[in-house]
Amino acid sequence: MIVRIAHNSTDITLNNTKFNSLDGEQLKINSWLKLVATKQDKQAFSELFKWFAPRIRAHGLQRFKQEALAMDLVQETMLLVWRKAVLFNADKGKASTWIYTIMRNYCFDMLRKKQTQKEDTISDDLWPVIEQQTPDDNNDHLQNRLLLSHLGSLSLQQKQVVEAIYLQEMTQQELATHLDLPLGTVKSRLRLAISKLKSKLEADLD
Amino acid sequence: MIKYHPTQELLISHSGAQLPLSLSIAVSAHLEMCSECTTVTKKITAQQSALFEAQDVSNNVNFSSMLDKIFEHKPDLQVEPKKTAINRISVAGNNYQLPRAFSHFTDLKWSSFGAISRARVVKDTDNIRASLLHIDKNSAIPSHTHKGYELTLLLEGTFSDENGVYNKGDFIWLDNDLEHTPFTKTGCLCYAVQDAPLRFVSGISQALNPLGQLIY
Ligand SMILES: [Zn+2]
Repeated sequence: MIVRIAHNSTDITLNNTKFNSLDGEQLKINSWLKLVATKQDKQAFSELFKWFAPRIRAHGLQRFKQEALAMDLVQETMLLVWRKAVLFNADKGKASTWIYTIMRNYCFDMLRKKQTQKEDTISDDLWPVIEQQTPDDNNDHLQNRLLLSHLGSLSLQQKQVVEAIYLQEMTQQELATHLDLPLGTVKSRLRLAISKLKSKLEADLD
Repeated sequence: MIKYHPTQELLISHSGAQLPLSLSIAVSAHLEMCSECTTVTKKITAQQSALFEAQDVSNNVNFSSMLDKIFEHKPDLQVEPKKTAINRISVAGNNYQLPRAFSHFTDLKWSSFGAISRARVVKDTDNIRASLLHIDKNSAIPSHTHKGYELTLLLEGTFSDENGVYNKGDFIWLDNDLEHTPFTKTGCLCYAVQDAPLRFVSGISQALNPLGQLIY
């Protein structure tokens, strides 16, 4: 078992310079995937396909030793790339690594299916490739930034309460003690501050 | 504070999808709790991807019909908020939320023996068994030894053995024939993977021997 784990571990200690020549290609791959993500651009996807299909096939042959399964891996990986491209977030990594991880995940599920005859897709729980990049956290992030930008519209006292509770994560009780105020005062300041911020945010969205 | 981490070899195998499911669950759950290993793993994955990209490939394969088949599908135009299934469990009167790596296992069947509750998670090939283990506070697991390896990922609580004190997130790998007697003061929830059934070695072991099968 341990022997099997150790296998392949030497691979990644290869000289890094080997990869430098890919930089120009990396840029192309990134821009293709962005075009697929934003414009569902078939031409750009065809370029991605031309570049990745032979590599995925080669990887599949290595893992499965079967042409048909290797071709399945190509088809399913590239289909996921086509369908899910909108989830790719260039701020969080290279396009090629994103595609690699999609293939890696699908590969894991295929291997399991081969071993257990079970149709479970569990890889997304193990490596949340797709979820990790959802604009979900971007939205939070954006909302966070918007909220912060509106802090200035609060009175000094309201701002103090919001900052302590949402940025410094104090409890309302801790803050009341800290400011030597009744808990009720802290609560009502917070309530007013939140409703003001809410109305500012709603104004942004209109 | 996490003190025990998977080896780099394990991180490499996990990132390359080369571990059995039982162990990948453990590494994945550890990564969820450990930013240090997450950083290392990101680098490993980037390197593995670079190797994948640098493969020599022949361009003589005909993929043409595949592209048409793919274009029959419509791409997603926007991101639907993914519903992350949170797996909450209730065992021995305690409620826990399991790491994301366990989301799939919503149908856990717990069996109890004294202070110990166990639910089988996966049974991989090669005789690997993986279970969630809950141990009530102020309890010991009888001293035992094993033929293969035993991996314990501590999900909640703390426990200690001859070698030290373990905290939430610790990834404890024991090899061959190491005898140990875990004890928990707080009570704990662990995920345990091992590749051969336990054999108890202390005096009480004969009477408890069936427990060896129950625990893992
Ligand atoms: Zn770690």
